[in-house]
Amino acid sequence: MQQSFEEIYTQYSPQVFRVCMGYINDPAQARDLTQETFIAVWQNLSSFRNESKLSTWILRIATNNCLRALEKSKRMVTTDLPFDIPLPHEETQEEKLAFLYKCIAELEETERIIISLLLEDLPQAEIATIIGLTEGNTRVKIHRIKEKLAVKFRDHGQFE
Amino acid sequence: MDNLNDLKKIWLSADTSGLPDTATIMRAICKYRSQKLIKKAALILAAIFLTAVMISVVFLYKSVMISTRLGEACIIGAGLILVFTNIGSIGRLYNLKSLSNKEFIAYLEQVKINRAKYYRKTQVIGLSLVSLGLLLYIYEGVRLYLWLLLASYVFVLLYILVMWLVVRPRVYKRQAKKLDATIKEMKRLADQF
Repeated sequence: MQQSFEEIYTQYSPQVFRVCMGYINDPAQARDLTQETFIAVWQNLSSFRNESKLSTWILRIATNNCLRALEKSKRMVTTDLPFDIPLPHEETQEEKLAFLYKCIAELEETERIIISLLLEDLPQAEIATIIGLTEGNTRVKIHRIKEKLAVKFRDHGQFE
Repeated sequence: MDNLNDLKKIWLSADTSGLPDTATIMRAICKYRSQKLIKKAALILAAIFLTAVMISVVFLYKSVMISTRLGEACIIGAGLILVFTNIGSIGRLYNLKSLSNKEFIAYLEQVKINRAKYYRKTQVIGLSLVSLGLLLYIYEGVRLYLWLLLASYVFVLLYILVMWLVVRPRVYKRQAKKLDATIKEMKRLADQF
């Protein structure tokens, strides 16, 4: 079991870390949440019954962990963007990523989870399974989140 | 958004090299499990130890008064309640699997009901037994000197009153407040879906 757990950890930990980053916007806390997620995965691996994909199951644990990180979320960065942001000439990849995290941090908790899963390239049906919504509701939510992000990015001078 | 693919590229560029390796995560898992276990096990062991001490006192100290024997029985009874309650709580802790948020709210609601039941019944019985046990047990040892008798009973009564009227309600209130806040927060999150 340990060998298979190691393989699972190596394969899925970057994905879980990115989803946690989308929620918490703090690398140290995202690492803690990733660790907590895999503690839960390890504890429950024997009860995993292949009823869903392993990635769906792991991300479901991760998203539940994120949503339950109540104390940590109080410290989360949710500051509004400055009103008059100068247009960047050539943003580095890190700056672009930081801006993306900042935009996601301004969404509601559950919206943060949904967009993180979408950016992980998960199909909408799988996202619906993870968060426990119907596919129709998930589609509507995703559409609204995309609109919100589009406005933020347009205001920032991107995606004209 | 037409540029979702661009966002995905940015998203996937996140540096994940700082994540702990598998050996570290395995150590963390072992530590996490042992920390949880040690905390509960320490409480159970302490309760077993105190109960065993009381049982050994029954055999080592040949009391002459029935009140002492009754006191010993009450304290042993309270110790056993503490032991069995905590063994039950370890079982519940390990039965908690990775639940969905709705199931987690239901679990928290059940914890809330269990705590209220523990506060109203189990804890009342346990604390009553300890209080009565202490009052009965010390009588034989202090009865010969009036000043010692008075001082001992004033001290024990004050201790019992503080436990009943201050510590017990305060601890329960604090725990209930924390649990209520968690349930409220979980429901708020569930409402977002």
